[in-house]
Amino acid sequence: MTSEEIVEKLKSDMDGKILEATVTLGDAVVHVSPDALHEVAVFIKDDPDLKFDYLSYISGVDYLDQDREPRFEAVYEFHSIDHNHSIRLRVGLEEDDPTVPTVSDLWLGALFPERELFDMFGFNITGHPDLRRLIMPEAWEGHPLLRDYPLTTEDVTFSHNRDYKSDLVKSKPPTR
Amino acid sequence: MSVTEQGLLERDKDTMTLNMGPSHPSTHGVFRIIMEMDGEIVKSTDPEIGYLHTGIEKTSENKRYVHVIPMTDRLDYLSPPSNNLAFCLTAEKLLQCEIPPRGNYLRVIMCELARLGSHLVWLATHALDIGAMTIFLYCWREREMILDLNEEISGVRMMTSYLRIGGVAFDSTPEWLANVRKFVDYFPSKIDEYERLLTHNPIWLDRTQGVGVMSREDAINWSLSGPALRASGVDMDFRKIRPYSGYENFKFDVPVGKNGDVYDRYLMRVEEMRQSREIIDQALNSLPDGPYKTQDNKISLPDRDTLHTSMEALIHHFKLVSEGVNVPAGETYVPIEGPRGEVGFYIVSDGSGIPYRAKMRAPSFMAIPGMCKMMEGCFIADVVAVIGSIDIVMGEVDR
Repeated sequence: MTSEEIVEKLKSDMDGKILEATVTLGDAVVHVSPDALHEVAVFIKDDPDLKFDYLSYISGVDYLDQDREPRFEAVYEFHSIDHNHSIRLRVGLEEDDPTVPTVSDLWLGALFPERELFDMFGFNITGHPDLRRLIMPEAWEGHPLLRDYPLTTEDVTFSHNRDYKSDLVKSKPPTR
Repeated sequence: MSVTEQGLLERDKDTMTLNMGPSHPSTHGVFRIIMEMDGEIVKSTDPEIGYLHTGIEKTSENKRYVHVIPMTDRLDYLSPPSNNLAFCLTAEKLLQCEIPPRGNYLRVIMCELARLGSHLVWLATHALDIGAMTIFLYCWREREMILDLNEEISGVRMMTSYLRIGGVAFDSTPEWLANVRKFVDYFPSKIDEYERLLTHNPIWLDRTQGVGVMSREDAINWSLSGPALRASGVDMDFRKIRPYSGYENFKFDVPVGKNGDVYDRYLMRVEEMRQSREIIDQALNSLPDGPYKTQDNKISLPDRDTLHTSMEALIHHFKLVSEGVNVPAGETYVPIEGPRGEVGFYIVSDGSGIPYRAKMRAPSFMAIPGMCKMMEGCFIADVVAVIGSIDIVMGEVDR
C-alpha cells in the first residue's frame, strides 16, 4: 500500500483512536495518544492489509524550546516484510507524566529500545517486564538526552579554573 | 537433536552464574553477558551494554550537519560510508536535493567496498573465535588493500568521512579507479580460497550447523536485520525493495537462507561479498561523467577556483562554512542496507543548521536481545559462535 492508502485506512478504521494522520515527505505519519497506542499497535500488526510485523526503531524526542504541547514524543517506526511499506507512530507525552504502554508484548524487538527510552529520556514504560537502565550505569542520575540536561556535567576540580569551568557547565545548549 | 529435546534442561540442578566480558576477545568490543549455566548449557542470559557509550546522539544535537558526518563514522567503525550515507540521505530528503549520477556511483562504490571490508573483518574474527587461525590472516591481507583504496581517495584509512550532504567530498582520480579495478579483478579467487578453507570443512560444519537457530517468525519479531534476517529466510534487502542512490541500476542477487543457523549466516555473508564485487564491477564499467556533487551552492561548497572570480561563490562559501546547511523543518527517516542490516537516521530538524534530534537505528543494537535468545540452550562453546555470526559492532550498539 502507498502511504496515502495507509493513512486513509487508519483514518476510516481507527476513527476516534488516532489524533491525526498525514503523509509528510512520502512517509505515513500517525499521531496517537498514549492511551490508544496499544490498541492501534494491535490493529496495525494484525490487519492483513497492513501487517506491520517488523519494528524498525523507537526514538524519543524532547521538544523543550519549540513552543509546542506536549513536550515529549515517542516515535515508533514499523515495516511490513510482506507488503514493503512503513508507518511512523508519534505519541505525544505530557511533561509531568511521560507514561506510555509497552509494545514489547507484540514486538519482542521493542524490549531494548524501550529500556533505552527509559534510560535516556526517563519515560515510564508501563507493562515492560524489565525496565532498567540500559546504556548508562545503574546509579546514574538524570536522563542524558533531555534537552535541559547539559552537555558537560563533570566538574573538574582544578582550583585555578573552577569559576571558568562552572560557567561552562551551567551553560544552556548553544543558541541556534 | 537439540539439547532442549534431549531433556537436558529439565534436570533439577543448581545452576552456575558465569560472567563473560566486557573485555573478552570474542565479544568483538566491550560487551558483557552474564549467563546462568547448567553444566555446559546456557539456561538464561543477561546482556549488559554501554561500555562504549560516547553520547554521539547528544553531541550531534549541538553540531552542524557537516560536523556530524565524522561522528557517524565512529558508530559502525567497520563501514563508515554506510553510516555517512544513511545520515546524508535523510538530510537530503529534508532538503529535497538531487544527487548527480557520478556522485551516486562513487557513493555506491565506497559503500560496497566498505561492505567487503566489513565482511572480511567479520569472517576473520568469526573464524578465529571458532578456532580457524589461517583465514584470519588471509582476510586481513585483502582488507589491507581496501584500506589502501580508502586512503587513496579520502586520505584516511578507516574513518573516511568521504560522503557529504549533496554528494561526495572529492572526485575520483583515474589512478584510483584503475586500482579499484585491479582489486575487483583480483578478489574473486580469494573468496574461493576462503570457501575452500571453510565451506566444506568438517570441523567448521560441526561448529556452525544447527547452532543458534532462529525461525523466520522469531527473526522478524526480534527485529534482526541484514544477513542474520535473510539467513532465516526473509527476503529483505533495502537495496532491492526500496532502492536508494541508484542501486536499481545494478544487477545483483540477494542470497536468502533457510535454516537460520550460524552456518547459513556465514553463507549469506560470503555470497554477499561476491555480489558486492559484482556491483563495484558494474559501477566501474558504467561510471558516468559529470559533477560529483550537487551544483546547488546553498548545499555544497562551490568549486575552489571559482572563489577568485565569482562574488556569489564567495558568499555561498562564506555562508556554508560559517553557518552550514540550513535544513528545512521537519522529520524523516530513510532506511538503507548496511553490512549488518538496516541502518538509518531519524532526524528532526527545526530549520536551523544543527539537527534538533538525530537518532540512529543501529542494526547491532536491535539484534542483541535476539542474539541472546539464540544462545539459550546452546553449549558454552557455541556462545562465541553465535556472537560472531550476528557480527555486532559495539560502537553502534552504545553510540
